[in-house]
Amino acid sequence: MENTEKKVKFFDKVKENEYYQRWIKSPLTYVAAAMLLAIFQIITLASTGNPWGVSGVFAYWGAWIYEAIGGNVDKWYYFASSGAQSTLDAGFMNHAGTWRNLGIIFGALATTLLASGFKIKKIKTKRQIVAAILGGLLMGYGARIAYGCNIGALFSGIASLSLSGWVFALGMFGGAIVGSKLLVKYFM
Amino acid sequence: MKEVVLDCFGEACPVPLVKAQNKLAELEVGDVLIVQIDHSCAMKNLPEWATKDGHNVEVEEVDDGEWEVIIEKTK
Repeated sequence: MENTEKKVKFFDKVKENEYYQRWIKSPLTYVAAAMLLAIFQIITLASTGNPWGVSGVFAYWGAWIYEAIGGNVDKWYYFASSGAQSTLDAGFMNHAGTWRNLGIIFGALATTLLASGFKIKKIKTKRQIVAAILGGLLMGYGARIAYGCNIGALFSGIASLSLSGWVFALGMFGGAIVGSKLLVKYFM
Repeated sequence: MKEVVLDCFGEACPVPLVKAQNKLAELEVGDVLIVQIDHSCAMKNLPEWATKDGHNVEVEEVDDGEWEVIIEKTK
């Protein structure tokens, strides 16, 4: 009987820990997250010479996958610049953005696991699949013809004192309003 | 005093928020709305909206990655 008393499980103790609760379990405030984003944006610019971007990396991933199965993107207008060509030649492992995106993906996984918030969600309706695929295609395509997403074009643009970042912001807020109306109308 | 459960499992933002707003509007003062979510963003924006609107809110973690946002309509 004494034994069971002593055997308070380690992770049950961690769960009650004040610092675990505050730093790992509860989400950051918007202000704290914004401060971290600003600090890491500065570090990214200082260490790589380029502001932070996310979606452009995925275009290179696509090109590398396409090349791996025997395709060739040398003649594609999007990859025609010498900068894009040298990035493609250097390869997946030598691209700073690749590591950054992998860091985001695995960091997000680690964060939810540490907060024991990981769950594989069920797909409820076919409409959710349609909405996800449509949304993903539109965002990906839009980000590439705008030469950036909400990170590369908006956040990095505005942080670089570029007018284009503000133009992007206007378009994005307008798009978000239209998008939410469509979402409520057709997908709810 | 009714207690209504709103199943928003598998729904991403802003769907749980919009559904909860619509549902709460149908309820009477004193009724309780329980919104089931598994989208962590909704854990932030649901209580934020309900608190701002002046209702009593409580968030309960029911399982790994599953929460219940309990909203008591006060006005």
